[in-house]
Amino acid sequence: MNGTPTVPVLRARAALLSALRAWLQHHGFLEIDVPVRVRSGALEEHLEALAVGEMWLHTSPEFALKRVLAAGLPRIYAISPCFRGEEQGRLHATEFTMLEWYRSGVGYREIAEDLQGLLAAAAQAVGRTLPRVEHLTVAEAFSAAGGRPSDPIEAQRLWVASVEPQLTAPTIVWDFPADEAAFATVRGGTAERFELYWNGVEIANAFTELTDATELRTRWARSNGAREAASRPPHPIDERLMRSVGTHPRAGGIAVGVDRLLAVLLERDDIHRLRVQG
Amino acid sequence: MAVYQTSQFRNGLKIELDGSPFVMTYFQFVKPGKGTAFTRTKLKNLITGAVIERTFRSGETVEAADCEEITMQYQYEDSGMYYFMSMETYETIGIDGSIMEDESLYLIDCLECNVLIYKQRPVGVSLPNFIDTEITHCEPGVKGNTAQGATKPATIANGAVVQVPLFISEGETIKVDTRTKEYLGRVR
Repeated sequence: MNGTPTVPVLRARAALLSALRAWLQHHGFLEIDVPVRVRSGALEEHLEALAVGEMWLHTSPEFALKRVLAAGLPRIYAISPCFRGEEQGRLHATEFTMLEWYRSGVGYREIAEDLQGLLAAAAQAVGRTLPRVEHLTVAEAFSAAGGRPSDPIEAQRLWVASVEPQLTAPTIVWDFPADEAAFATVRGGTAERFELYWNGVEIANAFTELTDATELRTRWARSNGAREAASRPPHPIDERLMRSVGTHPRAGGIAVGVDRLLAVLLERDDIHRLRVQG
Repeated sequence: MAVYQTSQFRNGLKIELDGSPFVMTYFQFVKPGKGTAFTRTKLKNLITGAVIERTFRSGETVEAADCEEITMQYQYEDSGMYYFMSMETYETIGIDGSIMEDESLYLIDCLECNVLIYKQRPVGVSLPNFIDTEITHCEPGVKGNTAQGATKPATIANGAVVQVPLFISEGETIKVDTRTKEYLGRVR
């Protein structure tokens, strides 16, 4: 009760982190220690970065890793504490641990193969066997819940209320609508984005990364416009990231919530008490 | 009427939805990486007991239900009306038996119950979890029957029937769990 997890949980967490690093190192990924205090915390409309003086705590290691990708390293990863305001709940904490990796020369399909290999190693690290990973598209997932409503908010509500809870087996959900592209490349009206669900919980999110800086600037402006309309501060545009996005090679990338992955592996429905509390 | 934000959601919150009062029995903040935040809830209809699931977007508001639970003492029954007295004001009200499921069968004189008042109208009676009640009728135990766990029906309180061990006799007082309708033991 002193704000630390139990000894078995601490051991499982350490085993998981070792297994993640071992798998990534074995597959040629270099670990980058990223800054957590950054010039811009996020791009997405619905992410709240925490301010530290003139700077921000990062909401994910994405911006720093993309700059490193542009600098010429083809396979990189980071395991980093991340910070998001206004997110509190069983599956949300202001501070949490995120794993991200980026791989040059590939798209999201190859990242999904990486992910399945890494998940098997992660499960083994805590004495479990990874169940068979299911695959379906966002459209298929919605059709089981009566179809995707045209109103984007109602679509999200239905997703949260009826789709997510059904995704209990480890499931990769492919191909999101273009308005949920974030940093993903859009091809034929579909964002090359997938998410991993397990136990009804969103564990990971991957993209074929956008390499068109002009398009990124447009999306960033749209997000900031929506934020300002909702009386929220805009996310500063990170010009070093902009230059990097315009120059780094085609790449796939993914973010994995480490605390959630541990929760699912340990069959907990709460990420708190799986991490030393601040 | 008071209004609650999703950030004020907690278990036990009583809200008005689609013209009925509900109590929140579960809530979970969930924010997809893709978009806006929601709170998943499970809500129990205070009148019918039916449980529904609702997902609220962060920032949506719900109205507080115009209801309160008051402690009342059961007095007597007359032609399907059950009379209870408020322990605060000593005022007596009649409650139509039709709003109860089988709670009326467990009412005994002077039993303190919680009565749910919704829009100035009684809509439900909840019994204490345990009651001590006299057996008004049961068959005598069959001599020589020593089978472990053998039971027989016994009529208690206002007509409820529970299963009791064979050695229990009419006129004895027993403790009953009103949630499971189970015999818990003999009261000496």
